[in-house]
Amino acid sequence: MKAKELFPDAQELRKGRVRIELDKEQITDALKKLKENGYTHFVMLSCVDWIKEGKFELVYHMWSYEYKEHVMLSVKINRDGEDVVSNRELFPQIETYEREIHEMFGVNFVGNPRLGEFILEGWPHMPPMRKDFDTEKFVKDLYYKIPEVNEE
Amino acid sequence: MKHEEWKKISRIMSKRSLWMVHFCTGCGAMEMPPVMTSRYDMERFGIFAMATPRQADVFLVTGYLAVKTLKRVVQVYEQMRDPKYVIGFGSCTINGGMYWDSYNTIKDLSKYIPVDVYIAGCMPRPEAIIDSFLKLMDMIDKGEAIGWQKYRKYYDQYKRNQKMAFEYRLDEVKPIKEDDKNES
Ligand code: SF4
Repeated sequence: MKAKELFPDAQELRKGRVRIELDKEQITDALKKLKENGYTHFVMLSCVDWIKEGKFELVYHMWSYEYKEHVMLSVKINRDGEDVVSNRELFPQIETYEREIHEMFGVNFVGNPRLGEFILEGWPHMPPMRKDFDTEKFVKDLYYKIPEVNEE
Repeated sequence: MKHEEWKKISRIMSKRSLWMVHFCTGCGAMEMPPVMTSRYDMERFGIFAMATPRQADVFLVTGYLAVKTLKRVVQVYEQMRDPKYVIGFGSCTINGGMYWDSYNTIKDLSKYIPVDVYIAGCMPRPEAIIDSFLKLMDMIDKGEAIGWQKYRKYYDQYKRNQKMAFEYRLDEVKPIKEDDKNES
């Protein structure tokens, strides 16, 4: 069954691109439903920081080889530390994306035991991909202030 | 023969037999295959890649360095035996290049390890790379490529800068004491 039939309120953005907005409780069921109906390829999980709304948007991208259709499941959660359930049981590759989003945005995925240091090593500051992290100021205050080696 | 003369001979020998560590970082590494293979053929200058740092003389840092990579670069650099030379490759090693405002890449390589020759460009052409090798040979011949001596001499300053980058935190810069200077 195609995603439009499974989820009546799915929006078709253009041919082969379907977007479905969900609550965070529905996400595991929705992934399961899609997996059973031909959307067998979990492409990736991404995160968008909507700082003005105070929300993080998690987007689960799925692909069906049968229908040649790309489905995006979008979930919005609060920016200030709302937990999400990990879906690593459904697709093991989700684990890696969850680790990355945990490190870069600070989202906590309940049920993923491998959250922790991933790409960055010894990063002591706020997760760097959050929009309230001022990259330019950080760079100017750190790398540009490291002194030159004084040859005397 | 006097010590100085031996040194001169060894410099003449070593400039014609430069082994390069095979450590590629950043996008600049893409320019190495044409330089190494038959089109530009750096072997005719006596330069070739060596898989282990302990048997290598030249370290080409081929592009931007994340802090995590810098740790490995420092490790490799310290494993190399003296005399050793560093070529900073591309604008990323000079001032950060297009990664000037990236939170996780260092901006100026010479703050962390001594650099003998820089090549400008994003990325530099093979001609520029070969030109930099020739410049390095010239410097070795004249005894000007002394980055490895600087690393020994100002070891504490290099270490301090590395530590600041590794910990993503500025330390207080201690003034160098007079008697420290005389010792080194
Ligand atoms: S200088 Fe340019 S080509 Fe070289 S590593 Fe930086 S961005 Fe890449």
